[in-house]
Amino acid sequence: MGDSWKPLDVPTAIAVLALTVPACAPPRGVNARDTQIAVMLPPSERSFWEPIARRFESEHPGTHVELVEGPQSTDLRENLYTASLLARDPTFDLVYMDVTWTAKFAAAGWLAELGAHVDDERRAQFLPAALTAGEFEGELYRLPVRTDVGLLYYRRDLLEAAGVQPPASFEDLARTAAALQSPPRLWGFVWQGKQYEGLVCDFVEVLTGHGGYWVDPVTLAVGLDRPEALDALGFLMRCTRDQAISPPGVMTYQEEESRRLFQDGRAIFLRNWPYAWRLSQADGSPLRGLVGVMPMVHAKGAAPSGTLGGWGLGISAFSRHPELALEFIHAATSLEGQRSLCGPTGYAPARRDAYRDPELLAANPFLTQFERLHVNAVARPALARYALASDILQRHLSAALSGADSPRHALSAAARETRLMLGGPALAATESRSER
Amino acid sequence: MWTRERLLLLLPALLLLAVVVALPVLRVVQLSLYHVELHQGIVLRWAGAAQFSRTWLDTRWWATLLNTAVFTCCSVALEMVLGVVFALLLHRRFRGRGVVRSLVMLPWVLPTAVMALAWSWIFNDSFGVLNDLLGRVGILSAPVAWLGAPHTAMITLVVADVWKTTPFVMLIVLAGLQGIPEQVLEAARVDGLTAGQRLWKVVLPLLTPSLLVALAFRAIQAYGAFDLPYVMTGGGPGGTTETVSLYAYHNYFRYLDFGYGSAVAVQGAVLAGLLVASVLHVARRLGAKRT
Repeated sequence: MGDSWKPLDVPTAIAVLALTVPACAPPRGVNARDTQIAVMLPPSERSFWEPIARRFESEHPGTHVELVEGPQSTDLRENLYTASLLARDPTFDLVYMDVTWTAKFAAAGWLAELGAHVDDERRAQFLPAALTAGEFEGELYRLPVRTDVGLLYYRRDLLEAAGVQPPASFEDLARTAAALQSPPRLWGFVWQGKQYEGLVCDFVEVLTGHGGYWVDPVTLAVGLDRPEALDALGFLMRCTRDQAISPPGVMTYQEEESRRLFQDGRAIFLRNWPYAWRLSQADGSPLRGLVGVMPMVHAKGAAPSGTLGGWGLGISAFSRHPELALEFIHAATSLEGQRSLCGPTGYAPARRDAYRDPELLAANPFLTQFERLHVNAVARPALARYALASDILQRHLSAALSGADSPRHALSAAARETRLMLGGPALAATESRSER
Repeated sequence: MWTRERLLLLLPALLLLAVVVALPVLRVVQLSLYHVELHQGIVLRWAGAAQFSRTWLDTRWWATLLNTAVFTCCSVALEMVLGVVFALLLHRRFRGRGVVRSLVMLPWVLPTAVMALAWSWIFNDSFGVLNDLLGRVGILSAPVAWLGAPHTAMITLVVADVWKTTPFVMLIVLAGLQGIPEQVLEAARVDGLTAGQRLWKVVLPLLTPSLLVALAFRAIQAYGAFDLPYVMTGGGPGGTTETVSLYAYHNYFRYLDFGYGSAVAVQGAVLAGLLVASVLHVARRLGAKRT
């Protein structure tokens, strides 16, 4: 038996103190005796959560929902939540989290189990893929608020002018892009090739489109050294090297760099998330009405796919008001909550009925298309050390793409390291479980 | 003389140091002796020295160590040379010296994360100023993705670091220069030493203490580089710019592997201590020989 985790280490305590002191001062108009629940959000979303919080307060007199603005960067917010939860600090009752955090936070014992409070009828209200992303080892820890799915955007005007259909296969995509591009003014295909999570998302789509898999969720088999993975990486290599349909800088691009290039009219195809649609159709965008959107292309015999992303709410295991926090999750994931958050932002809702809601459809007519695209969503593996698995894949993909390693060697090394990682901690876990 | 009064006066400072330095360091050393399991909570299991032996087989650890060594050597060497050159230039009297001195300090004042972001846009292939300039002059026929290939990414990091921290070296050397008595240089001039000889035989030996201080500070800081690679490359491409601190951070915050993260941090710190101690030792001996 091991020692239990002792929370009181000093740097964490100081970090948390610095974080919580501003949050403790009650804002004006708040009764000090109100029961308060708090959640940390990106600053860009705060104003859209405001109506949800105020409505909740008026429906639950004597309560206050504190919306704490965290940093805009996802990584930094994850760090702040991690530091706070590590110290068993009750500051944040709710955790507003990315799909990839669920397994880690749940495995660390930082999230309350929600399964008993969410019946089948309630579950059926959500898009199945978005709901499943909140589960870890069969238990539900997170209800989805908004979803993301990887998409392929294309310049409809350019394809129509050339008399070409939107591509169906990777061959088509490469051929069309090569035929219509004129670099460096107009590139064929832009995506996210920097060594970070986005590269993994792009690769998962191409891999699934070749009929391959990364880590099987049930058997934990690793598919990175199978021929499909080599084909998938081969396609990305072709984009940057042999046929050069992607700019050399794609190796340094995150979502925004690639979207800007596309939005400036300098790329024919773009792989990105749903947010890029609204921006491309905004007032003043040179691409208004010229863009088409479809799932990522796929090889014969494989299914089209888009990597699943998205945000949801869980309850901190250290919350002093878990019942109230649960009430708030229900309010945030109600149709009314979805209208407040997704209407003005153009985020894709997690509830199915939101895709048929007249009010939301009036604000975002493209929603009718997006529900269909969610059918193709592929989840990244729900592993407690997902971040390590992702880093292993990122490093080796990036090494192959930058020419520092051969694709075959990079993928076999990634497969070996992933197996080692899955074998190591998993074996150790069963060992300690039997001791208990 | 440890009189009670002295101890009492020192106590607040000692307490502060104990709380913010000694305790966290001891905690990290303690954690490096444990396995951390993520299963129905975070469970610590005694590991002895197992986390340290794990580093021996960890290719990523060796790669980060090599990256850190390359980054530290290149950037510190360049900063020392440039710092001394700038200090000598700004030590001369000329009109507007005060203004120039303050302007030169600007990079040092900027937060690293901010300037790192600016540099990564400067080096961007499609929107970057550098590619545009080099293209106009005719040096480049096609834009280069500086941060997209292993060698150029490392060079980019070194350039950004040199730009930011050369003023620090310059400042310390400038202070050292001002401490050299005018009479000594006068005497050297009377003895008929050329400008080059005066620099080599008189000024630099007298600057040794300042140079050593600058060297030690810079070596430690460069070895611990975190924000620069975190913002500019995220450790990529292919992990070729991942530093020891970045690796320790990933283990702590992203994998929640406090045991291994601590082992990486402890081992990295010990190696850094050895490195700095040996550099200072050699430099002192050289300095002693020359004076």
